[in-house]
Amino acid sequence: MLHDVVIHENEATRIGQVLGSFLEESGVSEALLIDRSGQLLASTGKSPSFDTVSIGALAAGAFSSTNAIAELLGETEFSVLFHQGVRESIHVSTVDKETILLAIFNEGTTVGMVRLFAKEACRAIGAVLAEARSQPRRVGALAAPLTADEVRTDMGRKKH
Amino acid sequence: MSIINYAAKEINFKVVYYGPGVAGKTASLQHVHRSLPEGNKGKMISLATGDDRTIFFDFLPVSSLSVRGFVTKFQLYTVPGQVYYNMTRKLVLRGIDGVVFVADSQFERMKENVESFRNLEENLREYNYELDRTPCVIQYNKRDLPNAAPLSYMEYLLNRRARRVPSFETVASRGTGVFEALNTVSRMVLLSEFGQEQEVQRNAS
Repeated sequence: MLHDVVIHENEATRIGQVLGSFLEESGVSEALLIDRSGQLLASTGKSPSFDTVSIGALAAGAFSSTNAIAELLGETEFSVLFHQGVRESIHVSTVDKETILLAIFNEGTTVGMVRLFAKEACRAIGAVLAEARSQPRRVGALAAPLTADEVRTDMGRKKH
Repeated sequence: MSIINYAAKEINFKVVYYGPGVAGKTASLQHVHRSLPEGNKGKMISLATGDDRTIFFDFLPVSSLSVRGFVTKFQLYTVPGQVYYNMTRKLVLRGIDGVVFVADSQFERMKENVESFRNLEENLREYNYELDRTPCVIQYNKRDLPNAAPLSYMEYLLNRRARRVPSFETVASRGTGVFEALNTVSRMVLLSEFGQEQEVQRNAS
């Protein structure tokens, strides 16, 4: 069974700090921490116009399918992916079994720089996530079980 | 695999629409996308072939009511239904919290429905999930067609396990029943993650 993820404020701050330094040192414009199921865990960047939710889902899909190709070739995985564009490029690397780090960058830096600092950032984030996984999942407002009344979702219903 | 983010006050879930090819999985997602107000949905992405068959997945992020100050978000995915796309289908199932099985009600599609349901169970097992412990609902789709099989027959084929799941008659192209199914599975997902044990069991029976 895959492990559920919980990010408390302390971990969110620490992950934010690691992503912030990664951005500064490597010169990337956007860094996204993505769960391999496709969900975005954190993002930091200078380009708020990017649709990070969609990018997260698609990048996780691309990473998973590339890993399936790796297995067909007898590899355990391809731990780094690189997509080169005319202006923007993408570098994806493995943080841990459940998480990947995606960096979006342009001609302001080089893939070598991104690779170098991504490695360091992945190690630091991996340590934070390992701690996060040992934290209690339900605290504060979510500590007590939800009642049947609280789990109404009401999607698609007109508001009264 | 839910993600609780206490800093962002968000809870994220993943729900996958599963079923045989051309049963109405993408049509269901398109209805959800059409119907929700802008603030409650993100962009819908479809990775499809030239003839509109899903080749990898469709993706639609939606948000629901807040629960105790936490925004609940559901990421909706479809899988490709065609038998030969099993590898990609399996990849999409990674980390799911709930399943909507979309069955094609046409008599001649029963074999595909049953095979796809078995395939769902097998693929879940590869991730160490059991269908009986995974929030799941069934949409009997295309109920408007003249060659639709009787509901009792479809229930007999697809829903006679020890734990029967909620099922819905739907016409995805018009949206009939789609939100009823989605709201039920999302409630089941929330209960299974945050509810009391006995409520989860009651809901599942």
